[in-house]
Parts: sequence; structure tokens; C-alpha cells
Amino acid sequence: MKLPVFFKNRMTEFSLSVIFVIGFLALVLTSNGVFLSRASLQGFLTYLAVPIAIGLAQMVVLCIGQMNLAVGTMGGVSCAIMAVLMADHNLPIWLAIFIGLFSATAMGAINGALVVLTQLNGFIITLGTYTILLGFQYRLVKTFTIDKYPSSLPEFGKRNILGFPYILVIAIITAILLSLFFSRTIIGRRVLATGGNPLAARLSGVSNNRSIFIAHTLSGLLIGVASVITIASLPGINRSIGGDWLLASFAAPIIGGVLMSGGTIAIYGTVIAAGVVRLVDIARAQYSLDPSIVSLSVGVVTLSTVALSEWRRRRTERQNEGMKELI
Amino acid sequence: MKFKKIFNDQRVVLTLLTIALFIFFGLRNSAFFNVDFVIYPLLRDGATLTVIGLAQLCVLSIGHLNLAVGRMAAVSALVAGASYQYWGLTLVQGAILGVLAGALLGAITGWIIVKSQVNAFIVTLAMDFALLGLVTFIYVTFTGATAAFTTKPAGMDYWRSKSLADFCLGPICGPKALPMMLVPAIFCLILVSFMYSKTRLGRELLSTGSNLRAAKLSGIPVENRVMTAHIFSGTLAGIGGLMLAYTNGSFTAAIGSQVMLPSFLGPVLGGTLLAGGAVAVLGTFIGTMMTLVIRQGLSVQGIGLETLNIALGLVLLLALSVGQIQKMFTSIKLRGKK
Repeated sequence: MKLPVFFKNRMTEFSLSVIFVIGFLALVLTSNGVFLSRASLQGFLTYLAVPIAIGLAQMVVLCIGQMNLAVGTMGGVSCAIMAVLMADHNLPIWLAIFIGLFSATAMGAINGALVVLTQLNGFIITLGTYTILLGFQYRLVKTFTIDKYPSSLPEFGKRNILGFPYILVIAIITAILLSLFFSRTIIGRRVLATGGNPLAARLSGVSNNRSIFIAHTLSGLLIGVASVITIASLPGINRSIGGDWLLASFAAPIIGGVLMSGGTIAIYGTVIAAGVVRLVDIARAQYSLDPSIVSLSVGVVTLSTVALSEWRRRRTERQNEGMKELI
Repeated sequence: MKFKKIFNDQRVVLTLLTIALFIFFGLRNSAFFNVDFVIYPLLRDGATLTVIGLAQLCVLSIGHLNLAVGRMAAVSALVAGASYQYWGLTLVQGAILGVLAGALLGAITGWIIVKSQVNAFIVTLAMDFALLGLVTFIYVTFTGATAAFTTKPAGMDYWRSKSLADFCLGPICGPKALPMMLVPAIFCLILVSFMYSKTRLGRELLSTGSNLRAAKLSGIPVENRVMTAHIFSGTLAGIGGLMLAYTNGSFTAAIGSQVMLPSFLGPVLGGTLLAGGAVAVLGTFIGTMMTLVIRQGLSVQGIGLETLNIALGLVLLLALSVGQIQKMFTSIKLRGKK
């Protein structure tokens, strides 16, 4: 069977969209339509925004062939900074949000600078910063829940436009801007070139160090967006924020078709995969299963997706080799 | 000249640094020299974390990572705990079963990596989450709200609380500060060290780690060696899990949830390369002890968990940058000579 090129290149995205629609319909049918009610649909869409943002944050680092283990604590610390500034120092909301975004970006920039300066794997650097930031997060929020900030922020999180929560719209706009960054700007193309083949990129005049630094900084900025969304969608901030972000951040891009080896991005894939993972979460609540089932199934699905994509890659390679012989 | 050579050895420097830190903390607060409350638990935790560090070292030697060490330890403790509680096995039988479970998990992980050719990082990360779900699920299903196996087989408390002072050869007994837990740790240290320095298998693992292609071309069965490394890692993680459970006194899902970072700290501080190809077995023990002295020393000073985390993260980053800084100095020196 020969598929048109358009579908062949977007197989993962297409099949994920089908899975998403089927899963959605299955949930609607088994819940006798309760899932379509305004409240539960609202809940589904509201808590979809954070997985999208952190998935994108991880994707940016994956596309240069590295990873960011510190996503959770970077988000936790910038949430804590915003909450403390608003609650204890009475800063206006816009300033607190600006500082939160800035601090997350700065943390990403520090990661990038450390990776470039030490020339070590991003994995181990972010493991180090993860631990340090965890300490800062605990120090900032201690054992309290901070919720004494102006209520207009959580209210903003509840507002929606045509049934779509504003914060989901923010996440979607971020995704669109990110895709423009990678497809339309020179810097974006250079970052992708570094991920695809560092040596070739170097030889064509791309600074790999700059690409690495930009990718980590951008990852920080996206985590900043995720933390703003988090603080707007939750009633309060405590030390557990960000604790469960790590697997979610890897699951969305990897299921969405991003390769661990770098050089690829899949923004629509990441967004729709985050939706599928969210459906699993809803289904667990629906059928009152144990929460541990979710980590089990997401772990298994991620693993099998990676195996499948690897198998597909090798098949393509073999086909290419066959072509070479023909030439 | 010879003197300088000794100080070039990372292990000597680390040992001196550890002792200096130990004395420093002791002088600040004499409670730190207390045998029963500080030194004995310090060495007991050190023994356990050394074994888990060795589990990480085995996969680091081929240039892989094992993010699931903690969860493999948890599975091994789960199997041993279940065998004591439901099948009434003795301490040794259950321990063997638990370690076998760890080895089996390692084999499965290695097999997935070899067959799918997927990055070890992502395989072990997904494995970690899958096992986290599975272990919690089993504890909750079988034991309900307690979520723990509490049956203690005969002899468990012996390993938990006795020291070498209870182990006598005629009239001479061991010192009270050395816990029994050191015995399995030293046993593992000797075995792993022997394997990497004296056997063909160890050398094959190291050459797989330093250059996969070269190893393959020189006839080393690299796929088998990747499997071997992960099986060793699973086995050692299993032993570590049992040691954690015996220290803890009961078998719960929380076992092994705190060991991921320490498992890297020990080997890496000791001089094991993350890229593979070089291991530091004794260095793992020294590196582990140093992090524990810092952790314990700071907490005796009354410093909270948050500062501990910051300190440990900084130590990791500093230790990792040392190599790079050294390289920088050497290149400056060379340039000066030119």
C-alpha cells in the first residue's frame, strides 16, 4: 500500500489524533455523556495546559540530543518565587509573573552555560541543578501552602473563551510561536542543525555551543510559561509542585514522535500526545483505578513508542541503503 | 616526585578530604564522634549506598545509565518481603530470591536495550516509572492500608543492629563502630574490583564502554556485554535493596526511592567516567563516604534538608567540573611552554 507523502511523514501525528478521538468518544460513551458536561470538559482542558508546556520544554532540549532532568524543580522554584513575591511582598501580578518567567529563563540559561563550559552531558548537569533547585524550592515554601495572593489570578485561570480556558489558549499560542521559531527563524534552524548532526553543523559554520545554550534557555522560558499556567490553575502553591512533571515531560514529546538522538521536533505531536496522556488520567478517575496504574501504563507506552520509532528508523535506513546500491 | 605522584591519585585526595571533613565536623560539634548514634549508622548507610553505587558503576562502565536502580532495589525487597510473609522462607532463601528478582529485572532491561537499540536512559526511565506503579500496586493490593510486609525472619535484626564487636576470633573481637552490613559491602567491592582488574570479562566490559565500534571489530560480543552489565547492575541493586530493607526493618514501597542521586555521586566522585571505559571501585566507597559525611555533618550542625540538597548538588557539579578545570590548566601550561 502506498501512502501519499503527506501522511507518510505525519504517520505518528495522524495515528495519535485517531487514538485521541477514539479515546475521547469512548470516555463520552462509557460515562453516559457526563464527560461532555461543562464542568468535566473544563477540568479536562484546564489541566491539559501544563503537560503541553512542559512537554514542549523537554522537546526543545531533546531536539539537540540532550535532556533536562530539572524541569520539575525549575517549575517548582519559579512558582514558589511568584507566590512568595505576591503573598509576602505584595508585588503586583504582572511584575511577579515577569519575574517568574525571567527566573525560569535564567535557570535554563545557567544549565546551558554549565553544559557549554564543562562540556559534560546535559543529563548530569541538570541532575546537579535539579538537586540544588529542590533545596531552594523547599527553602522558599517550607511546609506551607501559599495561597494569600490576589484572587484575580486563580479567577483568570477559570475564565474561558468559547469553552476553551484562557490558560489552554496560552499554551496553544506558545506552541504555535515555538513552531514558527523552528520553521521560520535562522536561530531555530541552526539549533535543529546542531541536533541533527553536530559535526556537519560545525562545518557549515553553526556554533554548536550557542545552539546548546539557546535550547536550554528556551527550555527555561517554556517552563516559566508552565509555572505561570500552574499558578493560575491551582488554588495554592506548596512544595509538591513539579514533583510529577518529569515523566510527563518526556512522555508527550517521545510519544509524539521526537527522537532521543536529536534533530527532530514534533510540536503538534507533542500537544496531541499530552492530550492522550490526559485522557488516560481522566479514565483512571472515571473507573476509579489506583493512581499507580497511570505511571505503569504511561511508562509502558513511552517505552513501546521509543522501540517502535527506533525500529522504523532502522527500516528507513535499510531502504536508503538499498537505494544507494541501485544508484 | 614520588610524593607528588601519590597526590595525583584521586582516591588519596578524596580519602584525605573525607577525613578532614570528618574531623572538621567533629571539632565543631563533639556529638559527631559518637559511635552509637553517628559513626555506626554512617558506616551502615555507607555500606548500603556503596553497593548501590556499584550497581550504577557496572552500567557506567559500558557508558550506560541506570535510572531504575532504586526501583530495582524496591522490587528485590518486595520479593524477599513477600517470601518471608507468605511462604515462610528463611532469611537466606528469601534474600536469594530477592537478588534473583533484581538480576532478572536487569536482564530484561538489558534485553530491551539491546533489541530495541534505544538509549539506556529512556529505557531505564520508563522502567523506573513502570516499576514504581507495579510495586505500589502490589503492596496496596496485598496488604491494604499498611502497605508493608512486616514479617521479620530470624536473623534479620542481627544484620541490622550488630557490629563486628559481636564477631570474635578467640579473644579478639572487632571494633564496635563497624556494622555487620560492611561485610556484604566489602564482599561486593572485592568481587567487582577483581572482575574489572583481573578478568577478561571486566576488560571486555571496559572496552565496550570506551569504544563500542572498536570493541565490536576486535571480536567482543558487545550485545552480550551490554546484557551482562545490566544483569550485574540489577543483581547489585537487588543486594542493596535487601540491605536497605533490613536496615529499615520492614518492606515498603518507599525503599530505594532516595538512592538515585547518591548512586551517581559515589562512583562519579570516585573517578568513574560517565562516558564509560573507566571505573573506580574503591573510589565508589570513598566517594559515598564523603557525601555521607557531608550530609551527616551538616545535619548534626542542625542544618535542614533544603541546605543539604543544595550542598550535595554543588558537590556533584564541582566534582564533575574538576576534570575540565584540570584540562584547562594543562592546556594553559602547555601553551606557556611553547
